[in-house]
This record gives sequence, C-alpha cells and structure tokens, in this order.
Amino acid sequence: MQQAPLPRLRTGIPGFDVLVGGGLIEGTSIIIQGRPGSGKTILANQIAFHHASQGGRVLCATVLAEPHERLFQFLSTLSFFDRERVGVDIQYVSAFDTLRSGGLAAVVALLRREIIRHRATLMLVDGLLTARGAAETALDTKMFVAELQGHAAFAGCGVLFLTSALLDDGSPEHTMVDGVVELAEQIGVARSSRWLTLRKTRGTAAIGGRHEFEIGADGVVVHPRLEALLGFSPEAAEMSNPTPEELTAELAADRRTPRVNVAIEGFDHLLGGGLPCGSGTLIASPSGGGKTLASLCFLAGSTLAEPGLMVGFFEPPVRLVRKGEAVGLPIARLAGSGALRFLHCGLAVRSIDAIGHEILTAVFDYGIKRIVIDSAGALFRIASNPGRVVEFFFALTSVLRQRGVTVLTTWETPDMTGSTSTAVISTDAASGAQGGLWSSQIYSSCDNLLSVHFDDRGGVLRRILRVQKMRDSHYDPQQRELQIASDGLRLVTTAAL
Amino acid sequence: MTTILVVDDEYLVADVVAFALEDAGYLVVTAPNGRLGLEAVIRERPDLVITDYMMPVMNGMELASALEERAAAGARRIPVVLMTGAQRALAQQSPELFAAIIDKPFVMSELMRIIGDLVGPP
Repeated sequence: MQQAPLPRLRTGIPGFDVLVGGGLIEGTSIIIQGRPGSGKTILANQIAFHHASQGGRVLCATVLAEPHERLFQFLSTLSFFDRERVGVDIQYVSAFDTLRSGGLAAVVALLRREIIRHRATLMLVDGLLTARGAAETALDTKMFVAELQGHAAFAGCGVLFLTSALLDDGSPEHTMVDGVVELAEQIGVARSSRWLTLRKTRGTAAIGGRHEFEIGADGVVVHPRLEALLGFSPEAAEMSNPTPEELTAELAADRRTPRVNVAIEGFDHLLGGGLPCGSGTLIASPSGGGKTLASLCFLAGSTLAEPGLMVGFFEPPVRLVRKGEAVGLPIARLAGSGALRFLHCGLAVRSIDAIGHEILTAVFDYGIKRIVIDSAGALFRIASNPGRVVEFFFALTSVLRQRGVTVLTTWETPDMTGSTSTAVISTDAASGAQGGLWSSQIYSSCDNLLSVHFDDRGGVLRRILRVQKMRDSHYDPQQRELQIASDGLRLVTTAAL
Repeated sequence: MTTILVVDDEYLVADVVAFALEDAGYLVVTAPNGRLGLEAVIRERPDLVITDYMMPVMNGMELASALEERAAAGARRIPVVLMTGAQRALAQQSPELFAAIIDKPFVMSELMRIIGDLVGPP
C-alpha cells in the first residue's frame, strides 16, 4: 500500500532539502550539532528566515548569555537575514535568566507559553549544552528535550535544538529526537572543508554519509555527494542486470549508435567513424601533448541544436578561445552563438560536487551534447577526499552517457617521453601506488582510451597518438603522429615510426 | 534617590546596563520580562523604565502600553526608554509610549546622556 507522504517544511537551503526527501518533516524535532564555528547558527537561522518568508512563525530561544544584538550584527552580513522580520514573525527570546533562577522546568514552562503566544510553527533552541550543564542527571536533559518537543508537537511546532556538544548516538538527547544533523569542519593548510552528516532521520529515506557545504554571502549551500544523490556506484551498475528482452533491445540500439565527429584530420577514420555518441573517452598525455587542443577539436563540432560544454580548471575561456583560433578552430564564433559554453572552475575552495551539479544543470538547461572535462586530475586536487573521485566520476559520466552526452576527459601523465604501450599506466603509477590505482580506475571507467606520448628519436620531438581501447567498436591500432599547425590538427602515418 | 528599572530577558545586557547605572549613582532594579517588569514598577516605584523590545511573556511594547494605561487611570507617569535594534519601526508606530528609543548596540555614554536628559543626575 502506498503510504501518504508526510508534509514537509522546506528549509530553503540549496542542496539540503533533497538530502532529506524534500524538507524536514513538519512538527519534527532535530538536533543540529557541531563545534563552535561549524555553521550551526547560520544553518538554523537560514531555515528560520526561509520558513518565515513562507508564512511560518519562528521562535528563537537562546539558553546562552550571548546577546542577540551581536547575533544580528553578524547575521546582517548574510543575504537571507531580514531585519524587518525580527520581532514580527521571528522572535528572539532569552531563557538564560529563567534557567538561572528556575532551572530546566521553568525554561520548559516559559517556552511552552511562548510557542502559544507567538503561534510559532518552528522553534530554535540554542544552547542545549548549557541546558545540559544545568541538568543534574542525564534523565533531566532527556526530560527537558522530551517535554519541549512534546509541547511543541501539540502546538504543531517543529523544534531545532542547537548544541556545540558532540553528542554520540547513545546520548539521551539523540534517543529523543527525530533527526540529528552534524556539522564538521576540517582546517587544512591551504583550504578548509566543511561537511554535514545526517546521523538520524526518522521517517525519511535520507542520503547518508558526508556532504560538503560552503558558507557564502547567501548562507549555507550544501553540495550533496553526487554519486550518492544519483544512486550510482560501480557496484550498483553491476547489480542491475537486464532481462533477455532488455539486453536484445539494448544491443539493437547499440548497433545504431551514431558517431560524433572530431575536427582532427584522419581522426574519425582511425576510430571507425568518430567517437560513439554517448560514450566516455579519456585522452591521456604528458603536459604539452595536445590534450586541450584535441578537446577543442572535439568541441568544434558543437552546434546550436547540440551544444558543447568545456569544463576547465586551468585555462580561462579567453585563453581557450585564443588557443583554438591559433589552429583555425571557430571557437570564438561557437562561443559567441551559444553553441559552445564554458564552465571555468578555479582550483580554490570548490567541492567536486558543486562542479558536478553545475555540469548537470548546464546539461539540463542547455541540452548539452558534448562535454570536455579538462582535466580529471583537477578533480583529485579539488576533492577533500580524493578517494571518492572515482565513484564521483563514474556517477557523473554514467548520467551524462544515459542522456546521450558524449564526454571527453583529459588526464595528464607525468612522463615526458616514452614509446612503450604501457607508458600511460606504468608512469603515473610512479606518482604513488594510490595515484596509480586511481588512474587505472579512471581509465577503466571510460569506454575509450586514447594516449599521446612524445617521441624524441632523430632529435625531433613528435607527438604520437594511439587508440588504446575502444569499447565495442573497431579501430585502427596503428599509431599516428599528431601534427599541430595553424590550419588545424592532423594525424599522419609516418613510416619512420 | 533616583530609581531606574531595567527590563531585558538577556541577562548580560540587563546586568551590564545595571552595573553602569549603579556606578553612576542610580538605584537599579532589574526584571527579565515585561510581566515581571510591571510587577517591579508597582513594587519599586521607579522614576524611569529602560526596556528591551523582544522578550518572553510580555514584550517591551506591551509593558509600555500597560504603563500608559496605568497613567491614564491616574498613576504616576513614568518615562520609558526602549532599547532596540530591529524593532525601531514597530515602536515608532506608537511614539507616545516612549520617551526615547536607543538602537542596540549602543555605547553606555549615549544611554547615560538620554537618562540624564529625562530624569537628571542621580
């Protein structure tokens, strides 16, 4: 039997509602915990102001000594803060004095009346740690939480308890509430990363694990882990076995896969007609091997009907346009018409998930059909946890392929010269066993693998391109010299090679 | 002796203001909300009330209205100073209730000047 969905209170925090099945369950009680500075207060107040903007009424009760005015001062730097609402549909009251004079029971009595007085539909209680300090036994704290949420529930009011105590799963507070959101921060040498974990979510199939978030001028933005959100992992893909009918249909469709042209002379011939539409290709080479130029040759086939997207990390769009123009590619014209779009991501504090979501948004919004990711290595550099980039990359490219988007990803290898066929894999394994493992996993997640290496025999440095793998397609195994000239790129068969 | 009642649910604010007024030589009484503030007015007969706006049980506006009603019924009229940040606009809809409005955060000398103007030195 289909169960009726529970009504939701949307938090309005980008990325958060999707994690909890559309929003917090109305009338629910949640603990938001994290060390001082982890972003609890911003998260909770952002929810409060959004709720008020949707017609809700919020009671913010503090059991802290910190003056509200100081809170307003720093909240006023964030766009969601609306001073006009303070005292109108968002009330800030302090229960600190009540706690001092009357204890936890008096605070419960005070807040119960305040909920009714303000007809609150959401209550924030900041300072659960202080309340804990005032409790004589763990049972007192449990009763405090239970009584407050009991009174709130009867008034149709949800509760967000904020605490800087790092309560564990077995703590009395956790056993009482419907959900626990934990915020954490890791401060690195060059950058710090923040993440959010849903520790407990009653009544909701929430997306577990760590999700990175940022605090900017608009407050908190959560970047749900892309692979978790999309429900993709290499394991999950393997488990979905097709029925014989599905397999037959899939095979028939596969045979008709159209090809996507690449503006490198001789390239489409080498690949048996071009890159299979909706496939994922990796082009690996050392620096200067022509990866980015080859990517631009691929994007040169973008049209208004089937636009392309360049996701770059190192070179800004202007430089890419110049680079393309230098070899006669109409990049400026394509970019000017909208047939080619750029997503330039710096290497600074961005999460890979933010980039993933931006790519998917561009695909949905503009109907992108060709994508270049230049390069996959940058994803490892950006990720706060490089160990999950492979899963992320797999999930992203799987969704893109499902939508018929042809993806070309570049991968920089550390070797400068070399001619053996194992050059690609063996040399970047030298950058560490872990790095070698990641690159081989990235390679295996792509349908097609191209490599370019340098050959310096005869005192001339030449770029040698070869096809190392083409999934379910014929290709010419003969390696070619990749020549770069002002009128374009071409592949040449050289007898001397 | 000039007695001043300070009403604020934020104990830190109430305490800081109270200490400063006591140092200046005033007699000070504090209350954590409007309801208890009203009880203190009846009990302590202060010469001036300084109150916050947003408070549990009874807010500063409600307290000022209650004092106005008492004055209309013949009680001694007590000037009320409102300490507020966000709610100045709300308070200004009833300007007759307040002798002065001071925006939080404020410096103590500014509050002292307002008090001096209203009730004179201690």
